[in-house]
Amino acid sequence: MAIGSTKEYADSDGLYGRVNTQYAEFDGITLESGVFLGPLTVAYETYGTLSPELDNAVLILHALSGDAHAAGIDANGRLGWWDAMIGPGKGIDTDKYFVISSNCLGGCKGTTGPCSINLGTEKPFGRSFPLITMGDMVNVQGLLVQHLGIEKLHNVVGGSMGGMQALEWAVRHPDQVRSAVVIAATARLSPQGIAFNWVGRNAIYSDPARVCPDTEAGHVYQKMGRGLAVARMIGHITYLSEETMEAKFGRKLRLKDIDGYSYSLGENGMEGGEFEVESYLQHQGSSFMRRFDEDSYIIITKAIDYFDLEGPRGDLVTAFENISAKMLILSFNSDWLYPTSMSLTMVRALQAAKKHVSFVELDLPYGHDSFLANAGIPSLTRIIRGFLNSVR
Amino acid sequence: MSADVTEIRTPFHKFEVGFNIIIGLIAPGTRVLDLGCGSGTLLQRLREEKDVEGCGIELDQEKVIRCIERGIRVMTLDLDEGLEGFPDLSYEYVVLSRTLQQLMNPERLIKEMLRVGSKSIITFPNFGHWKVVFEYVLKGQTPVSETHPHPWYNTPDIHRLTIRDFRAFIQEMGAKIEREIHIINNVPYEGAFWANRRAEWGCCLISAA
Repeated sequence: MAIGSTKEYADSDGLYGRVNTQYAEFDGITLESGVFLGPLTVAYETYGTLSPELDNAVLILHALSGDAHAAGIDANGRLGWWDAMIGPGKGIDTDKYFVISSNCLGGCKGTTGPCSINLGTEKPFGRSFPLITMGDMVNVQGLLVQHLGIEKLHNVVGGSMGGMQALEWAVRHPDQVRSAVVIAATARLSPQGIAFNWVGRNAIYSDPARVCPDTEAGHVYQKMGRGLAVARMIGHITYLSEETMEAKFGRKLRLKDIDGYSYSLGENGMEGGEFEVESYLQHQGSSFMRRFDEDSYIIITKAIDYFDLEGPRGDLVTAFENISAKMLILSFNSDWLYPTSMSLTMVRALQAAKKHVSFVELDLPYGHDSFLANAGIPSLTRIIRGFLNSVR
Repeated sequence: MSADVTEIRTPFHKFEVGFNIIIGLIAPGTRVLDLGCGSGTLLQRLREEKDVEGCGIELDQEKVIRCIERGIRVMTLDLDEGLEGFPDLSYEYVVLSRTLQQLMNPERLIKEMLRVGSKSIITFPNFGHWKVVFEYVLKGQTPVSETHPHPWYNTPDIHRLTIRDFRAFIQEMGAKIEREIHIINNVPYEGAFWANRRAEWGCCLISAA
């Protein structure tokens, strides 16, 4: 989130032009839990051209609320969420690379997830959707990559949850990735991260929808409450930095025609938010309600909670032993959700495992979401472009 | 697109000389860790001239980005926090050029260098140079010279050491100076007479004894 901008994503110009989301069908996979899930649909987009040697593919990995539409302009005129980074001549240059972006497993933007129809019950899965992991999401991305005829990816790149997936790719599919860029991520979700996710899910669970009687398989129920909006508001607080909030909102009041406080909770005590920061969060929550599914939110945050490459023994060096990709770890000094110290833990373990690792801590004030902020794009462009060029 | 880099380090006056000395000390095809690597000039030359697989450590963001743009492996780390995570003897050479005098705790880092590298190369401005000493003695003021270009109240060079200091320090640590090269009037000398008074810079190849 850039200071002084209310755009959800970084400034973009849609330079790549029109794109259409495509869909690939697969028989299914056995999840880490042992459950078989199939058939599967994967929503994806591609930008650029695959080289005859099939060696220029870059896989983009989105964060919690992202989708397959990463660049260009879709049928609804919407710009991709990382359009500022992906396109002709941009940091991830579509004149050079064949860029693939897919919606993650469990998502609600075209890939199989809780909104999909369970063939067994002919109803949407809802909360009966099997619990999944980052590894499962990556395995499904693997099916797509294979489907596109690519044996080895030039690069996998993602921020936040996407960074976790980039790590999974490097650890679990070492022969299939030449390099990985891990942005604002961690090798294990911290108890603090688990706690925030838990509060978010609790907000959803507290909705009246939760108590709708539904004994049938499929858990179809009406979505009535604002739990998802509350979850998103909590999330948004963790994605921003104190500094950004101060600069963007300060203690500014929303109602400019009133001098000072209103000393009122509004009509019928239904408070709509008096401070600008409140109204911003309110807006974020409401718009998220319109574009995201609460059960996807539950399933994906659970997968994030489960993410722990260290394992119970707390041994990251061993976990990293299989990596053969060149690694680039990026952190932001204002990110308090996945702070630099977590990136440093990864960097030290990679160094201890004698892996090819570069690490850049960027001084950007926008918190966890800095990789999507306008002001961060120039630096990120130079870094990612330079790194991709150096990978052979 | 890239902003100007301000060189807060003591300029390695006629810079090439120092680089040439370091490059001359490094065997081809080895692994080199360059502490305070700046924008990667040395590592790039080592890659081109000696087929060296290098890695740099640098705190300044702009310089780190330049390294990445040059295709040089680099990490944003604070040298004052040591080399945690770097395995013992994982590099043939660890280089600390023009940075020793700026560290909070030089002793701790040099111990780390000796642990991580088979050999270490350290270059530092010599505070024992006669011009510096003259200024100190005659004017009674902290000298500002080519090798120590900043006034005392605003300088990154928080340690002022002489070549003789360095020798004693290495001996005290139980390490060994294998080679000592001095830059005198911009020319490198090995075994120069009265180096402690004549050299602007000391360049030493050291190893754990």
